[in-house]
Amino acid sequence: MSIAQLIDRARSQGRTVLTEIESKQVLEEAGILTVKARLAASAQDAVAAARELGFPAVLKIVSPDVTHKTDVGGVRLGLKSPEEVATAFDEIKAAVKRNQPDARIEGVSVQAMARPGIEVIIGMTKDPQFGPVLMFGLGGVLVEVLNDVSFRIVPLEPRDARQMVREIKGLPLLQGVRNQPPADLAALERILLRLSAFVDKHPEIEELDLNPVFAYEDGAVAVDARIVVS
Amino acid sequence: MARAVRGQANLIERLDRAFNPLTVAVVGDKRALGYLWLRAMSAFQGPVYSVQIDPAELPGIQELGVTNYPRLQDIPGEIDYVVCSVPREVSPRIVADCIEKGVGAVALFTSGFAETEQEEGVQLQKKLGEMARAAGLLLIGPNCMGIYNPRLGLRHSGEQPAGEAGNAGFISQSGTHCINFSLVGHLHGIRCSKTVSFGNAEVLEASDYLEYLAQDAETEVIGLYLEGLNDGRRFFSLLRETARRKPVVVWKGGQTEAGVRAVYSHTAALTTSSAVWNAAMRQAGALQADSLDQTIDLVKALLYVRPGTGYRVGLVAMTGGQSVVISDAFVKEGLEVPLLTPASYDKLSSFFNVIGGSYRNPLDAGHTVAMGFAPANLQRLLDILDEDTNVDAVALEIGAGFLARRIRDNPAILDALTEALAAFKKRTGKPFLAIVHPAHMEEVMAQVRGRLLDRGVAAFATFQQAARALRKVIAYWRFREGID
Repeated sequence: MSIAQLIDRARSQGRTVLTEIESKQVLEEAGILTVKARLAASAQDAVAAARELGFPAVLKIVSPDVTHKTDVGGVRLGLKSPEEVATAFDEIKAAVKRNQPDARIEGVSVQAMARPGIEVIIGMTKDPQFGPVLMFGLGGVLVEVLNDVSFRIVPLEPRDARQMVREIKGLPLLQGVRNQPPADLAALERILLRLSAFVDKHPEIEELDLNPVFAYEDGAVAVDARIVVS
Repeated sequence: MARAVRGQANLIERLDRAFNPLTVAVVGDKRALGYLWLRAMSAFQGPVYSVQIDPAELPGIQELGVTNYPRLQDIPGEIDYVVCSVPREVSPRIVADCIEKGVGAVALFTSGFAETEQEEGVQLQKKLGEMARAAGLLLIGPNCMGIYNPRLGLRHSGEQPAGEAGNAGFISQSGTHCINFSLVGHLHGIRCSKTVSFGNAEVLEASDYLEYLAQDAETEVIGLYLEGLNDGRRFFSLLRETARRKPVVVWKGGQTEAGVRAVYSHTAALTTSSAVWNAAMRQAGALQADSLDQTIDLVKALLYVRPGTGYRVGLVAMTGGQSVVISDAFVKEGLEVPLLTPASYDKLSSFFNVIGGSYRNPLDAGHTVAMGFAPANLQRLLDILDEDTNVDAVALEIGAGFLARRIRDNPAILDALTEALAAFKKRTGKPFLAIVHPAHMEEVMAQVRGRLLDRGVAAFATFQQAARALRKVIAYWRFREGID
């Protein structure tokens, strides 16, 4: 499905928030690498998807009504076998029904567990004066507690992406501390530039979150994603 | 001459007529204001007319030697620029008269519009805007001082300089800051090309003036005082484009919650978080200031300090104590104070008086330069810093304790000092500035600063001001060169 079709479908269903799977499809169109996710309607589907995408697998609830998937028991990590995937599928559905009975459940997303990297977040919001603004920061607790983020107005030039990544106080963590390999800063800059070009072309995108992005020594991948359209 | 540009023609040409008028009319000036506007316009090169219908005001206007007419339309010939100072209820009639007369631009000094946050004022302002837009009349303000062009003697106030050209432009949402920039700036060697106070920005906003000054050949540096924007995206892209050709200093009012509240009562503008604002300014390549003093420091540094892209500074101070704190100030502001090359130390050791001094960097040169006042030694050590490959920029403290007293007693010393520094400025390829503390001899030191600026040497009142201005200006030139 094209970006326009994906957005139209969400709108026709009365939604402005795209699911993780839809969001990732949109991002792939924008040239941003994501951890592929498949929607599974049954335990059998989930197993087939996990076989294709690889083990260990991750299963997450797909529901337009659930914002914090972990809180309702909607996420299972590190599933090593088809049996574990099938069991996890049933358990997730049961848990969400129990914890949030009125949530509409579209299914469960299946993806391969991403190899660990340095967690960063990349987002886009609309500023009342400047329009789309990109945000970059370290992921997890650091971004919340230290508010250590950088901003740039869309459209970005290569210089802007370079500065954004290097402006945060946590930069040494990306450059490699205590024998950790450094993150591929160029890959992060590429994501920022592609995202900038993409949101510049698509004013209907109101908000966008890649959280987390795993940054590796060689590349970076969006592990989870969320897009809000107008 | 097809000078009069009417209707929806090119905005730049129309603004050019407004900024360079041949004829001016002042509507509604009166004794209660001390004939502020007619006095301000007394230096204007071309004809100035008054429009006033109150018979009680006519003798006062006549005394000033200004011809008065009851209506704009009665004035013979074209009117390029009008300042309007009537009560707000009368302003729609004056704007209608401007339109009928084919005036180039009208600046509405009149207040009581959107800034009151009351429906009546908001609606009245909207009405004026609709009239002006429909007719293609440039309306500046309301609630503003309009245009200052010193070369033409078109002024905001009788205190402002007239009859001289300049190269610094200033665009201000506030009339106070606009006038102060020209008055205080003048003491700091800043000569304005054109400035504009634009108030409530009903028809023309900051971006329109920025677009004009960006292409104005006279204007080499642009300063802005902003509270809010009507179209942030247009402003951002204009700023980003302009800063690549001309330095732009942006002073943003309303950076704190209380400040925002004050801005809101001015313009009801939407506000952006300061983190996003700061990012936008860095991205655009603007130099950021947060006060009038800093705006003036930055414009002064841009005009008087040779462009450079390195942060390593060679420092010269006149006492041990000043050597310590000048270093602290420069490093705290983000500059580096490196050791000099061995070659420099060899040269320095041949003549430097180490009794009561030292020359590692900073150079504590009081005994070498000031005690016997040896300008030749001053030249020598400045040249050593100029040649030193570890040093990108040079800053010199002129000690109040040493030199000021000598200058007061023997003014010839100031001549020699000024000549030495002016000659060095000419010779060196590096950014160079002087710090002249007011200390206990404020008048003498103000005189020293003025003399240095007259000869093209940037002079600042404190280490911190000098260091901050130098660092920001270097960052700007690095942006221009694509280094950062």
